Amino acid sequence: MSGKMNRRNFLKVMGWSGAGVALTGCDMPTTVTLEEGKEEVVSYLMPEEYVIPGVGVWYASTCTQCAAGCGIHGRVREGRVLKLEGNPDAAMNNGKLCMMGQAGVQGHYNPDRINTPMMRTGGSLTPISWDKALGVLEEKLGTVNGDRFAWFTGTISGHQSVLLTNHLDTMGSTNHYAHEVVNNAVSRAVNQDMLGEANPRLRLDKAKMIVSFGADFMGASQSPVQYAGQYAKFRTNKERGLLVQIESKMSLTGGSADLWLAIKPGTEAVLALGMANLLLNKIKISDAGIPADVRTLIDTYDITKVAQMTGVAGDRIQRVTQLLSERAPSLVLAGAGVEGQAQGYAATAAIMMLNHILGNVGKTIESAGDFPFPQLMAKQGGTADLVAFAEAAKAKKLDAVIFHGSNPIYSAPKSLGLTEAMANIGFKVAISQFPDETTMAADLVLPVDSYLEDWGTQVPVDQAEANAIHVQQPLMEKLNAETKGLGDILLTLLKQRKKDDYGQFEDYYAYLRNAFAAMPTSVKNAAKSNDEFWNMALQTGVIKVDAGTKTLQSTVVSFAAPVEDNNAGLTLLPSPRLGLFDGRHANLPWLQEAPDQISKVVWDSWVEIHPDTAAKMGIGNLDLVEVSSAQGSVKLRVVLLKGMHADAVAIPLGQGHEAYGRYAKGLGVNPLQILDATTDGKTGELAMYSTRVTVKRVGPADSLSIVRMGTGAGDSQVGRKLVVTVPVEQVRRTEGT
Amino acid sequence: MSLDNILNHWSDYRKGAEEGGHHDYEHRWAMAINLDLCIGCNACSTACYAENNLAVVGKEKFERGQAMHWMRIERYWDQQELEHPEQGASFLPMMCQQCGAATCEPVCPVAATYHTPDGLNAQVYNRCIGSRYCSNNCPFRVRYFNFYSYYESSWPEPMEQQLNPDISVRDKGVMEKCTFCVQRIRTVKDKAFMEDRSVQDGEVVPACAQACPTSAIVFGDTMDEGSVVSKLWKKHQVERGVYQKTKLAKKDADLRGYRIFEELNVDPSVMYLERVREDI
Repeated sequence: MSGKMNRRNFLKVMGWSGAGVALTGCDMPTTVTLEEGKEEVVSYLMPEEYVIPGVGVWYASTCTQCAAGCGIHGRVREGRVLKLEGNPDAAMNNGKLCMMGQAGVQGHYNPDRINTPMMRTGGSLTPISWDKALGVLEEKLGTVNGDRFAWFTGTISGHQSVLLTNHLDTMGSTNHYAHEVVNNAVSRAVNQDMLGEANPRLRLDKAKMIVSFGADFMGASQSPVQYAGQYAKFRTNKERGLLVQIESKMSLTGGSADLWLAIKPGTEAVLALGMANLLLNKIKISDAGIPADVRTLIDTYDITKVAQMTGVAGDRIQRVTQLLSERAPSLVLAGAGVEGQAQGYAATAAIMMLNHILGNVGKTIESAGDFPFPQLMAKQGGTADLVAFAEAAKAKKLDAVIFHGSNPIYSAPKSLGLTEAMANIGFKVAISQFPDETTMAADLVLPVDSYLEDWGTQVPVDQAEANAIHVQQPLMEKLNAETKGLGDILLTLLKQRKKDDYGQFEDYYAYLRNAFAAMPTSVKNAAKSNDEFWNMALQTGVIKVDAGTKTLQSTVVSFAAPVEDNNAGLTLLPSPRLGLFDGRHANLPWLQEAPDQISKVVWDSWVEIHPDTAAKMGIGNLDLVEVSSAQGSVKLRVVLLKGMHADAVAIPLGQGHEAYGRYAKGLGVNPLQILDATTDGKTGELAMYSTRVTVKRVGPADSLSIVRMGTGAGDSQVGRKLVVTVPVEQVRRTEGT
Repeated sequence: MSLDNILNHWSDYRKGAEEGGHHDYEHRWAMAINLDLCIGCNACSTACYAENNLAVVGKEKFERGQAMHWMRIERYWDQQELEHPEQGASFLPMMCQQCGAATCEPVCPVAATYHTPDGLNAQVYNRCIGSRYCSNNCPFRVRYFNFYSYYESSWPEPMEQQLNPDISVRDKGVMEKCTFCVQRIRTVKDKAFMEDRSVQDGEVVPACAQACPTSAIVFGDTMDEGSVVSKLWKKHQVERGVYQKTKLAKKDADLRGYRIFEELNVDPSVMYLERVREDI
């Protein structure tokens, strides 16, 4: 240990500082020199010793295809990673992996990866050496004023996040913008206020009934594999769980509902208040803990009014509410369509209030405990940071920004004016794997390793009962010698600023070895030495961490009354989907060729409209239409879908890339571009589900220009016994045995 | 298989399935897929692409019905008379059903598709001449023909490094289909043989069953009476070689098992469990 770093600073550098952490003094690591490091280096650097030709070996690592952070196993044969599967040691995904995780290898082996650093000279990006790139970086960041420097990332956790935050500190900046299109930022704010925890643990498996207001928990959610696993338990419990999905566009989760109800977009809060009214006034559940103003508000939503406003039949509302009161514990969830309203916070709070009334808090919504290492916890993304970033750029408050793991130019609505404002930022650095829109607009591009080549740690936000740090290790040698790991780049940046603290670490691997050695003994478990602990961590991919137990509070906050929207017209739902997700996976051909789960379209964009709505406008299936908002318009083909409310049109996310390689570029349209820049007043999150549009037919149907899988006979089984449905009574007596 | 052989043994071959099979079977690999758990998420399908070197054909060829998705999720809308699909969508994972009396087998002029002692409906790529008779004759439409050579278009460098070396990449003019991940079965059988033991239940997990987030797919050997899949088939009173059966509805019996197109007497190796919906 060099004498230059004091203990407190040491903990901070290593990511272990935080409340309640007891470090044993004698367990301080020594500096790892290059020579020592080499002795300890694991398999991937000397594969010849471990490779048995023809035999695949599975190594543990962590998926980064979305922010969930599932544990994975990668099959390595002859030094190449071939197949990814879920890691059974990772409790959250329990050995399972979704389609996006499966397709991770296609990002790694993608033919459009950036393989050299590039700098903008004379208007275009030209290749330069790493030495030169790092030189430029040091020079530019050395002169920038701390306040005028920022990082722009997606959700980021673990030691990469520690180094990033420490880098911001050394720059004298606090500007870390974390942006995710698929996020639950509004729910986090509501949970924080009502439960005292932003990310409580949802227990779908313990619920007897789930009423989901557009929460696509098995699709584009915060942890789809985990919630699909919980759903399987929910359905196979002794008493089969009942799923009611209420939304304006059928999601993947909605496809599995016992009862799917179409609701007028933007009226979910009204329905929640109506249900609360029935629970309190008709079913006579106690209103304890509900603020007086909210109680008064609830009383104004009688069933007739609610049915009229939401378009959901009164008898349905009564039946669902009655069942909710009978099948305890239940779980009520709010999804992106609710959070993304102009009054997203209020609407989400109205829905979460039902959990309080029904007594679900503590039963199907549990405390996630206190994760002992706050520095490692995820900095979760949302869209408020995107808005704030656009504002800062427009106001010329930023001189240098480093981008990683997010593509704001693609995902920012045009109305934010971000593309133009980017010109105000003098020095834009993209640490990127692919030539996406943001990377192509950067001044300096640093090619980064794929997650299958890189070291790292991830702390998933939505954890199973056992909390864990997930370890990410290279599953093979780099495909291209010119790419560098994110951790290595961060470390280099830190060395440029604080050689004393970080100079001792040869590379990110050495840093992580030190960080692991410095981990509290309580976490190290039975490991006899640091080496043994390190090897155990790599072997299982999971470091179990005790987060203790806590109890959630169950309160209701005051929230604004729903604003009655008399503005007739169609609401645009920019729906994310498992697969292309928010557009980040548009360059993976397996996912482009995988039919959308509901509409079964491949390789394209389309707009979903209810047949009745379409008929009124003289629009037929597969017609070419123009969808226009106040911000602009897009042209695409119609897919008629009965799983739509008549007042909504949905354009799935993911396509419409102007860059991003051969598989993504030039396909379909990007609905994010035509969204209004309205924000939720309380959280500042973009109201992505509040834009009004008009639809105009501009061309005839053409079945060749939009491709769907198996669309014969109107998607009907035409009497064949393919998927047989039986009523629950037939199985109720024996399920779960 | 010579023409003589085919002509002389045709009826034996066809009837074989009804009389206990035309093999001394070592295994009868089978599946049970719980449609009440299938959420239609495509994890299985993508896992299949990754495991089995399936070509990506692109939009145009997809439109012509040339997609190579061995494992595909079909989505049906029931209750078409309603304004909205109130019970959601009906998802159906569909792959080769490895029929015991497969209609694809006897029509192959070169015996490129045949029945293995594992009960699998195997496709010998080297022998296939691309007549497509098998595909024509398959009631499940789960055979996929290579109308083109996809090597260049589907795996541009360095994408080819992902290819699974345990199985081949099929070229133009060859029929292909789901194999129940025969390479995984092979590996496990070889290992068991080396260790002088029988294959244990749960040892072979095809890529689709492995990936499935809700564990809707169960795979195993119906000749192993202790296997989970055997027990499921038995519980739901679905039997090999029995085509029309009145199920004995005992009290408390959950009899959701059925095989698709059972009436065609093809003896599929995949049992589906009916989707359940609560009418409220």
